Amino acid sequence: MQRVLVNGYGFLGKRVARSLLHGMVPGVKLVAVARSTGYVYRPEGITAEGLGDDLSRSPNFVEGSALGLLEDRKVDLLVELTPTNLPSGEPALTNIRTALSRGIDVVTANKAPIALAYTELKEVARSTGSLLLFEGTVGGGIPLISLRRFCLRGDEVLSIRGILNGTTNYILSRMHFEGLTFDLALREAQNLGIAERDPTLDVEGYDTALKLLILANAVMGLDRKLEDVRIAGISRISADAVALAKEANMAVKLIGSVDSDGRLSVAPRLVKLNDPICVHGTLNAVTLRLKTAGDLTLIGEGAGEPTVTSILNDVWEVVTFRGSSPR
Amino acid sequence: MPAVRVRLTCALVDRPGTLLKTLEQIALAGGNIISIVHSRENITSGYVPVSINVEFPDAQSLERARKGIESVGVPVIGSESLEKSLRTVIVIGRGEFGDLIRAVEGLGLRIVDASVRGSGPETTARLTLEVPEGEGGERAMARFEEVATGLGYLLLTEV
Repeated sequence: MQRVLVNGYGFLGKRVARSLLHGMVPGVKLVAVARSTGYVYRPEGITAEGLGDDLSRSPNFVEGSALGLLEDRKVDLLVELTPTNLPSGEPALTNIRTALSRGIDVVTANKAPIALAYTELKEVARSTGSLLLFEGTVGGGIPLISLRRFCLRGDEVLSIRGILNGTTNYILSRMHFEGLTFDLALREAQNLGIAERDPTLDVEGYDTALKLLILANAVMGLDRKLEDVRIAGISRISADAVALAKEANMAVKLIGSVDSDGRLSVAPRLVKLNDPICVHGTLNAVTLRLKTAGDLTLIGEGAGEPTVTSILNDVWEVVTFRGSSPR
Repeated sequence: MPAVRVRLTCALVDRPGTLLKTLEQIALAGGNIISIVHSRENITSGYVPVSINVEFPDAQSLERARKGIESVGVPVIGSESLEKSLRTVIVIGRGEFGDLIRAVEGLGLRIVDASVRGSGPETTARLTLEVPEGEGGERAMARFEEVATGLGYLLLTEV
């Protein structure tokens, strides 16, 4: 049985913890759940009754950091689901580093540590024989990292291009179909809970840049940093620009791309309406250009509930791997 | 295989018969010569640059001609496609776009269509550009993007 700590008890953390409690992944025991103010730890396994909506009201709730559970190796697998924090990547970066250095496997959906320190974390994982899986960091439920690892080993990824942020795609889609201004479309997205109250990370292209970095480093094997990405957001996109694009049978989309020379850029671009990556609403779409197989495009929801699918699949992979290769 | 139209620039030794040898190699490879520009005023270290516009039946013929020319001792110092493609860009910014239009012309790009609107705080223009095919065109577009950004415009290019 893999003893699991789910760190982060927000939208994803609650769903993943409940799925594990309901036996979605055999071979795991949820022994700890943590949030920023404290944690619940029960070595014999947490029960559904012991895990309410408000973690701090749980009978075994202890105030303070759960880092000690990792330092003392009280768990075998850390599922790190705290929110993305720039520029430090903390506290997730320290949690992941601590876990891997002690041979604890890690599954995460937090973009920052993987985007900012992938090369270092991969090296720590290699040195201790632990696993570091992060399918949920990019493209929500779209299996991009696993696709590369399991299905495209016999090919080379030459370039990547895609829509990697559902919030900006929603805003641009509303501008395209309804003729809204950027400000109106943003306000609508905020009212619907699609955009954050502070939308900077999304609309200025940083969220896309982080995801692009993860793809460049993990899918194309590059070693790029955030400062290597040329970033432009969508806040200057006028209703006129969207209308002029539409007249030319195109749409304005925030596109992240790694070109064949290894250059990374995030920018609003013109996409032909019949291009497979020209998807609308909150959808994401990514085209991988492969040396032998040609272009491969994947489309799916890039955030929210579908991300749970990616996280659980990574947990499943850890359990399968440990079943055949115990520590 | 589509026909290929290129401008080959060769460095000829300033000696009678050198141009003829070069043209023979183009003809042997199946190239149809459209025009020749012989820049005698640009002689450098005894070499005269000659630009020859040629249509080849396919890319392999171009490659054969290039090897043939070099085999008779004439260096090919440039090969630029004469094909043009149309690209749409959208520019957002304040002002009249005059600085940007001058930059476009200086880069060997040509504006063949323009549509301008100004309902928001900034003006938006959609331009259709004629861009040379090949690396030269890509370089010109990359430079155009740099210039536009440097002038404070937001430039949207096609993916």
